[in-house]
Amino acid sequence: MVKEYNIVITGVGGQGILTAANLLGWAALHAGYKVRVGEVHGMSQRFGSVIAYVRFGEDVYGAMVPEGKADVILAFEPVEALRYINYLKEGGLVIANSNPIPPVQVSMGLATYPSMEEIKKIIEEDFKGKLITLDAEKLALEAGNVITTNVVLIGALTQTPGFPLSEEHVKEVIRLSVPKKAVDVNMKAFELGVKAAKELLGL
Amino acid sequence: MAKVTDIVLWDKPGERVLLLGNHAIARGALEANIAVFAAYPGTPSSELTDTMAAVAEKAGVYMEYSTNEKVAFETALSAAWSGLRAMTAMKHVGLNVTADTFLSAVGMGVEGGFVIMVADDPSMWSSQNEQDTRVYAKFAQVPVLEPSSPHEAKEMTKYAFELSEKFKHMVILRTTTRISHARGDVVLGELPEEIKQAKRKFGDFKKDPSRFVDVPSNARRFHPIILEKIEKIREELAECPFNWIEGKEDAKVGIIAPGLAYSYVKEALAWLGVDDVKILKLGTPFPVPYKLLEKFFDGLERVLIVEELEPVVEEQVKVWAFDNGIRIPIHGKDYVPRVYEMTTRRAVTAIAKFLGLETPVDFESIDERYKKVSAIVPPRPPSLCPACPHRNTFYAIKKAAGPNAIFPSDIGCYTLGLLPPLKTVDTTVAMGASIGVAHGLDVALNGVPGEKETKEKKKIIVATIGDSTFFHTGLPALANAIYNRSNVVIVVMDNLVTAMTGDQPNPGTGDTPHGPGKRILIEDVAKAMGADFVEVVDPYDIKATYEVMKKAIETEGVSVVVARRVCALHRVGEMRRRGEKWPIYTVNEEKCTGCKICINAYGCPAIYWDAEKKKAQVNPLICWGCGGCAQVCPFGAFEVMKEGE
Ligand code: SF4
Ligand code: SF4
Repeated sequence: MVKEYNIVITGVGGQGILTAANLLGWAALHAGYKVRVGEVHGMSQRFGSVIAYVRFGEDVYGAMVPEGKADVILAFEPVEALRYINYLKEGGLVIANSNPIPPVQVSMGLATYPSMEEIKKIIEEDFKGKLITLDAEKLALEAGNVITTNVVLIGALTQTPGFPLSEEHVKEVIRLSVPKKAVDVNMKAFELGVKAAKELLGL
Repeated sequence: MAKVTDIVLWDKPGERVLLLGNHAIARGALEANIAVFAAYPGTPSSELTDTMAAVAEKAGVYMEYSTNEKVAFETALSAAWSGLRAMTAMKHVGLNVTADTFLSAVGMGVEGGFVIMVADDPSMWSSQNEQDTRVYAKFAQVPVLEPSSPHEAKEMTKYAFELSEKFKHMVILRTTTRISHARGDVVLGELPEEIKQAKRKFGDFKKDPSRFVDVPSNARRFHPIILEKIEKIREELAECPFNWIEGKEDAKVGIIAPGLAYSYVKEALAWLGVDDVKILKLGTPFPVPYKLLEKFFDGLERVLIVEELEPVVEEQVKVWAFDNGIRIPIHGKDYVPRVYEMTTRRAVTAIAKFLGLETPVDFESIDERYKKVSAIVPPRPPSLCPACPHRNTFYAIKKAAGPNAIFPSDIGCYTLGLLPPLKTVDTTVAMGASIGVAHGLDVALNGVPGEKETKEKKKIIVATIGDSTFFHTGLPALANAIYNRSNVVIVVMDNLVTAMTGDQPNPGTGDTPHGPGKRILIEDVAKAMGADFVEVVDPYDIKATYEVMKKAIETEGVSVVVARRVCALHRVGEMRRRGEKWPIYTVNEEKCTGCKICINAYGCPAIYWDAEKKKAQVNPLICWGCGGCAQVCPFGAFEVMKEGE
């Protein structure tokens, strides 16, 4: 039993972030932890930047992860990892989907999208974290449906050193949550995420 | 992980489940044997309403989506007058809409328990202002219960009904975004037999005009009764199971923490490693039970009140302390910010400062390092969805009205038309206000017929309002504009659903949770009211929409254009569920000249700019296939690539 484990999930509205947070929350509940999941709803969800928090442990209270306290940031979009990097604890891990979704402002030439090198540098040098990136969308398509991108990322998350929930446990919750005909695709997506993370983390 | 609607109805007392605060409250209402629920959706309260809608039939509850908060309140109130347990739910600004009935009805009391769930939105994640419902509660002299966790939210809901019934007084259950939209472990309780058997409960209204008719002679009697009741409730709340004192009994330092702030305080203390404090956990920020304060203050030398937003508890505590000759330092808003939401960081910082300690995490250094990040991270505000019909409507309005026209708008997804590139929203105040503002601008800028002085060159004013908002508070404003001979265009953006709060039905769709209701057509209403020009258009046909807008602008008087096309998010959701596909568009790079009209004037989020090729591109994972881009591009560069995902 860990005392407290904090996950920050970020991305663009519509990417399945709340579903991912809810799945992880249930997995932690089944593992016997106290759980808090914090979400954003309403207008702020519409294709804007989205953040959700998953916290569990022997004792957790508020639904938001405090700054400097996230064990992991799971980013569905690279720049969104950077936007919330102030939540990462020193030595924490960032798992990012490598597919950029440039905001309209960037396309209009009103802002620029930072390079992957810049993103990596800030995460690793300024915030003393570790970054791994994987093309989760490609893996989801390989599994059979792009909708499973979030499951690929969850699969990768379970490989994080010190992640307190067992892989089987998380898989079981996913199996029970998705429609029957989608179970195989989701399990495949999960495995692809696991495999990718193992390689990237050198496990 | 079962479906929420199933969980909320589970007959499994003792089961531990993960529920959103709003779902937990719905379960609490069922455990309390609620009979009637009526509400207008508003973030962050909507999931409570939607859950009630989903389970109503199976639980024997009458549930309705009312046209606005005031009407919802009146529906539930009448049920409570008839001896039934009834509830309404709204967001904080909804209480403003209800205020007239709310404040007048307090003195009449209730028979069955009546609980008003109000969800505040500190930091305004999805709201037009930041207001603290506890201030209203004090104003109206209505007790407020404020949970510190989703589980407590469920338990408190039950208690709220009991308290209300016991004192025949309405009760507010106040949440904030971080309770309403936080999931937590909740332990299910017993469901009453009537709920399990889906038994619809009926009430009995006992006529009593001396109570239910608030002519001055009656109302005059009410006010002292209200004040008496609230003092009795204050006494009762000393025994309330959601108020308690914990921590070190002989501590010199005390912290008072109402509602969710209690969670942050607990986390902060654990983080700081401090345990020689006494905590007063307050589930009832109004009225604060004095008896508990007596017990709590005993032996204390300093007190800090950690509360979110307004100093509601602080003021009560300070007045009480002053009246009782207690002269120890009592701190609150001098340590805890009065604006935006409470966070653990804020609690830690306030408590550390109060106790003269260092914060365990160097927040300032994080901020310092983060500065660099915020400089290079591009903004990503929410935007209208891909294929959203509103984008086309705005696009056509702007083209027809020109950049000098004024665009009052309203509350809904379409408020996002404010952002570049559309920029077709100049004002947004409150639900239904667009029409009132449009009329006011016309009077101020152009003058109205019949007046001696009217301006020669008139400003074009085009108001936009959603379908649900139109029925919410647009109707009286429309009547006013027509009656007073305005010269404005009112575009009702009818996406056939109350989209921003999660796809609830409204009179324009005609559906109700109990099956089909009666559909009211917006164009019929406008015609009946006497609008000078009424037309319905399909915004997916941009050219036709533009033509109608032109005509509407040219027509003297009030023009009402109904731009009708179902919400794209709603449609895509349904199609996904049915396993259907939709066309996906792509850019023919040979035809794309790089003019960027699709990006700089239209702005579908699925379209992005390839800086190397200097061509527009479509992200196939985001395109929802409306074909708007193909109509907007002057070079015909957008083509259908393939069918669906
Ligand atoms: S939810 Fe519907 S109405 Fe709102 S922005 Fe998306 S498509 Fe448009
Ligand atoms: S890319 Fe074109 S077809 Fe696809 S959603 Fe956007 S405007 Fe509609």
